[in-house]
Amino acid sequence: MIRVEHLTVSYGAIVALTDVSLEANPGRVTAVLGANGAGKSTLLRTISGLVAPKGGDIFLGDRSIVSMATENIARLGVAHVPEGRGVIHELTIEENLRLGAFASKVDIGAGLEKQYEQFPILGDRRKKYCSTLSGGERQMLAMARALISEPQVLLLDEPSLGLAPQVTSELMNLILELCHASNLTVILVEQNAKSALRIAHDAVVLHLGAVVASGTAEAIANDKNLRHYYLGLVQ
Amino acid sequence: MSQFLSSAMMHNIFAGLAQGVIYSLVALSLVIIWQSTHVLNFAQGAMAMFASYVGMTEIDRGLNYWLCIVVSVVVGLLFGGFTERVLIRPLYGKPEINAIVVTVGLLGVLEAVAQALWTSTTRNIATPLSQIYFHDQGRLVLLSPFVIFQFTLAIAIMLIVAGLFRFTDLGLQLRASALAPEVARLLGVRVNRMLTFGWMLSAAVGTVAAVIVASGSFGLYPSDMDGILIAGFIAAVVGGLDSPVGAVIGGLLIGLTEQFILSYWSADLAPLGGIILLVVALMIRPQGLFTKSVSRRV
Amino acid sequence: MQRLKSFADQSATSSRLLGVFLLTLVTLAITFVLPPVADSQLAGGAAISIVVLGLSWLIGWSGQISLGNSGFMAVGAYATGIWAHHHPSTPIIFTFILAIVVGAFSGLVIAIPSTRLRGPYLAGMTLAFSAAISPVAQNFTSVTGGEGGLFFNTLTTPHWFLNLFSGQDATINANAQWTADLAVAVAGVAFFFMANLFHSHTGRAMRLVRDNDVAAELVGVNLPRTRTLAFVVAAAFAGLGGSLYVLINATVTPSTFPLTLSITLLTLMVLGGIGTLSGAVIGGIIYAFSSNLVGHINSLTGINPASNLGANMQGIIFGVLLILTMLFAPRGIAGLGPRIRRFLARRPRIAPVPTEE
Repeated sequence: MIRVEHLTVSYGAIVALTDVSLEANPGRVTAVLGANGAGKSTLLRTISGLVAPKGGDIFLGDRSIVSMATENIARLGVAHVPEGRGVIHELTIEENLRLGAFASKVDIGAGLEKQYEQFPILGDRRKKYCSTLSGGERQMLAMARALISEPQVLLLDEPSLGLAPQVTSELMNLILELCHASNLTVILVEQNAKSALRIAHDAVVLHLGAVVASGTAEAIANDKNLRHYYLGLVQ
Repeated sequence: MSQFLSSAMMHNIFAGLAQGVIYSLVALSLVIIWQSTHVLNFAQGAMAMFASYVGMTEIDRGLNYWLCIVVSVVVGLLFGGFTERVLIRPLYGKPEINAIVVTVGLLGVLEAVAQALWTSTTRNIATPLSQIYFHDQGRLVLLSPFVIFQFTLAIAIMLIVAGLFRFTDLGLQLRASALAPEVARLLGVRVNRMLTFGWMLSAAVGTVAAVIVASGSFGLYPSDMDGILIAGFIAAVVGGLDSPVGAVIGGLLIGLTEQFILSYWSADLAPLGGIILLVVALMIRPQGLFTKSVSRRV
Repeated sequence: MQRLKSFADQSATSSRLLGVFLLTLVTLAITFVLPPVADSQLAGGAAISIVVLGLSWLIGWSGQISLGNSGFMAVGAYATGIWAHHHPSTPIIFTFILAIVVGAFSGLVIAIPSTRLRGPYLAGMTLAFSAAISPVAQNFTSVTGGEGGLFFNTLTTPHWFLNLFSGQDATINANAQWTADLAVAVAGVAFFFMANLFHSHTGRAMRLVRDNDVAAELVGVNLPRTRTLAFVVAAAFAGLGGSLYVLINATVTPSTFPLTLSITLLTLMVLGGIGTLSGAVIGGIIYAFSSNLVGHINSLTGINPASNLGANMQGIIFGVLLILTMLFAPRGIAGLGPRIRRFLARRPRIAPVPTEE
């Protein structure tokens, strides 16, 4: 599980996160919502160690990971699918997947087979270069790559970006399924609040770097004030 | 057969290939460093020269030739790693011109220091392999055991490097570290170590090239590697910076071009072989003749 | 090329032009005070500063890295040398114009394959070019004088100037000073031209191409033409500088422009401050008195200048300076001013602004 305590992050003179705290637990999807620029991506990047915070602490289970290097955090079982998916186009599908397996002691052959079973399209085109994939396929690849190392924590940064509604819906269902099946701790950053709230158990709403609301997904979804100001949902 | 092998044409081909092998090795070292770090080390030639000079001083003290090569390569390895860690690491994320300029500065320092320590006279090492050309039925064939050794060595290194990048986990991690360092980190790849390793490997291969030059009949002097670096660079560009095989072929092509210019036109103009090839290649296929990537990263 | 300038721009440019003019006058005045040796050094420094200015324009303003400007120098130098060798009584102005034209033309030739390239590819291409000069010069002996090079003597001090001097060493003093004054004057003109160029429409387009070529294209800037223009101007400056350089020494050989000179030019540009007028001036001054500086360092550290180490000190120092500057102060000496100002004002640093001068 992931626990963030009083996190403050700034890029030079610009403050990105102020006193942000949240808790994400195994077997539950925690949605992080808010408008563009609210600090959602920064939050994930800080958890992953790409950004060093000015203040606050981050725990993976009992262990403080706030000053650890990114690759070490990944090796502890934190898988982060970044904004834009981070699929490396100059490599093949299989190479991208194999890259994902290094973080753990998982047997690569078995891991690959498992992901190809879960995502047959990837299996069919395993030797192809990623520049030929569609948006939905790229998302699949990014997910498979994150999952191949059998992580405990899954950080997803706007997975629905650029995807058609039908595909988004399937994707969300998949995320929920995986969360339950492997008892993952999932932190889901989304601008598409509606789809995120449909599958989330808990939710946190950020606005200009600060937490303005947190609670169960149901409570957040039903709160009229939030819906109007921060989530852009139609009344 | 022997008449064919000893013909003027074959003389030129053998001579061109022998020189080309040296360019190939330097080109390989540049491909290695590009594939693992996306930085080009303009001091590559000078570092290789320096490392082999260190090895050569050991020979003066009576050390065996093969051990000296090992010493030189190890020095080169360490030098490469040190340079990455101390000089290049602080520059990641800054404009790429900064790293280029720093390596150019390093080039200047290394040559000046080498000249200060060892003067600019040519130095030579005696090799246990004969450099005497073969004679087949009384006719001269421009091959010697040493030249054959050169070819074999270069091909072997090329196969190892290509295999490393293409088929091994380490190679995959190296490539990922250069292509998308942030994503690689998120996947648990120890990117910093990959970058250092890339520099070390590149320096080691470059040093082998310098040692071969030093072992040849013309020997090695401090600014010798300048021209060789340029030729190696052109070879790498012509072959495509991500193709070890392309680098080797590019190097051999330049060697041949230079040799034919020397033979049929003028010795002074031989160094132009590379640049002529470069312009032609860039006109035909700017991204490199053997590269797979169709689009350049934006 | 329209030369539209906003009012603010115009007044800033005017003050810069005035600055160049005044600096030139002051330097000319200084030549009267300096001994002949220093005058000769100053002359060399002035010639180099012109080349550095062109390089600064190319790398700093158009973002195209070039390691081959010593090659452009050589082209201008040889053009001058060859002409002067056969027609020693041509007026100096003509010689300079010839060098500029030939330099510009070679810049155009090199630009054709080069403007498609970026970063290390471009650096390597320009490096290859500068390395090609020596073999060509050595081979075509009948034209270039081969290995031994060419000798010529066109810098004859005019009588009216000679008459200003009296005393024992009048001729030597007069010659040295005339050379220096000529060099400084030519540099002044070159800097004046560049000051205008930096802040013209062309200069701004150049910077846009450097920073964001996609945006530049959207605004209607012709990318290849702008990049080519950068090369042509830089090469013209280098040609002029090279011409002046060899006129001072009255000789040109294949070894006048080695690879180390390209490295030196780069070092001077970076040390002085990339992309700035003052940076090029500083670079020229450093070059002019580098042998003095190196001599001082030698005596401070007790190194024998005749020893191997002593003879190579310049190379070592320049190389080390280049590395240190790039790592710790990439804006060079000219960039220190704004840094100090910012430090004193203690405002938090925002994203770096492209150098303005």
